[in-house]
Amino acid sequence: MDFKSFRKKSPWILHYNTGSCNGCDIEILACLAPKYDIERFGALNRGNPKQSDILIVTGPVTKRAKERLLRLYLEMPEPKVVVAVGACACSGGVFRHMYNVENGVDKVIPVDVYVPGCAARPEAIIDGVIKALEILEKKGKEVELPRWCSVEVKPPVNRVKLLNRCLEELHGRRRG
Amino acid sequence: MSYWEAFILTLISLVIGGFIYGLERIVRARMQGRVGPPLLQPFYDFFKLMDKRSIIIHSFHAFMGVMYLIGTWFALFVLLSGGDLLIAIFFHVLSLAFLVVGGFSVRSPYSVIGAMRELLHMVAYEPLYVLSAAALYLVTGTFQVSGILHSNHTPLFYLPLLFVAVLLSLPAILKKSPFDTAEAHQEIIGGPEIEYSGKFYEAVYTAKWIEYIYAFFFIFLFAGGNHILGALLVIFSFFFFNLLDNVTARVNFRQMVAFHWYILIPLAVINLMLIALWRS
Repeated sequence: MDFKSFRKKSPWILHYNTGSCNGCDIEILACLAPKYDIERFGALNRGNPKQSDILIVTGPVTKRAKERLLRLYLEMPEPKVVVAVGACACSGGVFRHMYNVENGVDKVIPVDVYVPGCAARPEAIIDGVIKALEILEKKGKEVELPRWCSVEVKPPVNRVKLLNRCLEELHGRRRG
Repeated sequence: MSYWEAFILTLISLVIGGFIYGLERIVRARMQGRVGPPLLQPFYDFFKLMDKRSIIIHSFHAFMGVMYLIGTWFALFVLLSGGDLLIAIFFHVLSLAFLVVGGFSVRSPYSVIGAMRELLHMVAYEPLYVLSAAALYLVTGTFQVSGILHSNHTPLFYLPLLFVAVLLSLPAILKKSPFDTAEAHQEIIGGPEIEYSGKFYEAVYTAKWIEYIYAFFFIFLFAGGNHILGALLVIFSFFFFNLLDNVTARVNFRQMVAFHWYILIPLAVINLMLIALWRS
């Protein structure tokens, strides 16, 4: 039996703030509130990486947040998609090229959908999530790693070792 | 009811529990002025979790998740096959013990805190269920569920205080606000179920559907042989606990245990003593 069509019917969301000004986060919460109510589409804000399908990231990824972001990303079981919400998450926004930020989420983890805006409107976020669901439906179940990461993945995957190797590489990496 | 009918009904109960959970999500959304998910949403979640990759912390932890499902399922089977009420209660406690042991077996602090709070939940509401089994015995003269369901007495009229106590502790057994300290999604992200993923989370998720039927079957028993009254009681308690879930905030575990031990259990005991005095 093919369960792929059920993926887009129950997207469970994990929301992480990597040093955003809270503007985008408020808009994400507005999506869950009665006016936009994305629970109509089965979306739930789980707050738990192990049970979520969509990682919604806001903020320009500060130095402190990047390790947590990578941890959250690697703790999510496949298939998963990442939505970068807001100008900061897409490119760094007003914080671009500052000494303490990574210039966007895609410098640390692979991003599937970019939602621009400062702050991104709830309609735009819902649209981004729907786009992400189309990608999610086509995705396979193999382990995805960031582009900068050169760790080899051999099944059966030991997640703890994988995470530690990725973190080592993240901390050893020079800023490019 | 024969064992085979009860067995088939127990299998179907998973589907019925899913519908109850779907209905609950809709009712809760409507009470908050939202539209809410479709009725089949729990089944969509079910099939999606089937497709997810599962991350296993260690095999014992995953096994405990599956045993939680089997334990609750067996407790429900005992009820539906007309078995002994006390055995059903003890199997339910056992299944929760599996969840607690699984929660303690991982290093995640949220899981450990959740497991500890789960134990406090059991301390709070389990005496009430044992007392209600005793009270049902005093009224109907049997611990067998089949006997209670065919009895001429309606236990509700003899046990109004006990019924109120069980009704008010429904949120504790189903882990809803105000007594949702063990699950506390905003605080400890699901408690003992936090480390389950994929198929193993699915087991825990569906076990909760079965717990709905288990709890509502207890409410149904309070009507004895009067099955229409029982159905009305179940519908009333469903809406009542949804309303309670929506209008109350979470209390801390001390307040929860204190409320059960200082208010609900004395209520139940008073009712039990009065009925025993009146009978003798």
